[in-house]
Amino acid sequence: MFKNILFATSASPACDDAARVAFDMARRYGARLRVFHVLGAPTRAFSQLVVDMRTGEEVSLDDNYLDLVREELKTTYAKQLAECADCTIDTVVGFTHREILRAAREMDADCIVMGASDDSEGPRTYHKGVTGSTLQRVAKAARCPVLTVARPSASYWGGVSNIVFGTDFSRASDSAFRFALKAARELGAELNIFHALDISSLASSVALSQDEIEEKVIQARDRIRAKYVANLEGFTNYEVEVWEGVPYVEIVKFAREKQADLIVMAHNTRELDPERARIGSTVEQVILRANCPVLSVNRPDKI
Amino acid sequence: MAKKIMIIDDDPDIVTYLTDLFTDSGYATCSAADGAQALDVVKAERPDCITLDIEMPDEWGPRFYRKLSQEPEFRKIPVIVISGLNATKYAVPKAAANFSKPFDREELLATVRQIVD
Repeated sequence: MFKNILFATSASPACDDAARVAFDMARRYGARLRVFHVLGAPTRAFSQLVVDMRTGEEVSLDDNYLDLVREELKTTYAKQLAECADCTIDTVVGFTHREILRAAREMDADCIVMGASDDSEGPRTYHKGVTGSTLQRVAKAARCPVLTVARPSASYWGGVSNIVFGTDFSRASDSAFRFALKAARELGAELNIFHALDISSLASSVALSQDEIEEKVIQARDRIRAKYVANLEGFTNYEVEVWEGVPYVEIVKFAREKQADLIVMAHNTRELDPERARIGSTVEQVILRANCPVLSVNRPDKI
Repeated sequence: MAKKIMIIDDDPDIVTYLTDLFTDSGYATCSAADGAQALDVVKAERPDCITLDIEMPDEWGPRFYRKLSQEPEFRKIPVIVISGLNATKYAVPKAAANFSKPFDREELLATVRQIVD
């Protein structure tokens, strides 16, 4: 299931929780782990002056500096590295999202693990509710699933025995479903197929009656049976659930109720222009709020 | 009959420390080294309260808690989380109490007394 894992880290506390998950996954599933750090962007092409990603300062890129950064990474993850059988540390210079995507392609990664933060610092994360630009860019373009750990409580991994697959019935969700099913099958996990009926957008100015809502819940259930249950190929350890409400709230609540280890979703977006599109707002909010890692799937390539 | 406290922790020093602490305070104890074997011990020993570590080698605390909460006979056993990790209150949301290592022994004992007695 997970043979090649790329753990993209800034080596800052924001990635500590993602590190816990990445190292545990590698140990538990016998995967090769590549700890990957992009230390900065060149001030101009081929320049030896680099803008350090974390400090924003210009530094001269020489062997001493590279050794220093590698040593810092080794110190940061010393405990985990000691327990990881197959792990390498790489530091490169470049634009973070491009280098992460390039590294994932090079190593044929099954999964990219990242921490999540927003563009600002401190408590504004939840006020803004917007994930960082690197995560956005990587998640949109990655060929493999991207696993994000945003909160300390989302990092309690310890294996996967309960997967929540959240669907909006979009085409992108088909890839996410295939991944969730494959993961549930290979990891021996329970698969919860979940749809949140968005009652805020069903009738913008008219409140739906409860009969109408419940009718739509029944229709969504039928749709899940036709679209997903019919394609489970003999897999029987599953449940189907449809709740009404605000989708990201309901998915987070459902995962909490089920004590899920993993949420799998497609990052669907209504924006057609790929340059302007962010990952879907629902998956973004789920990433920031969930109590377990969130794995977003965009393409069928690595499934 | 003395109330029984079960200690689930992979660190033998912590198990010994808590066993002595509870035994000296008049409780019976039993223990398990990780979540994987803990449910069997619960079934055999039927404790009145459980102290639970989060990060353990095979099966982590939240996973054990989930299994426990699926057992109608045992789901109401109060669980006290004792962990070195942060934000453990979100890992086991229905825990009776949460303690971070290092913890205050008197505070822990007072909490256990309040829950069990």
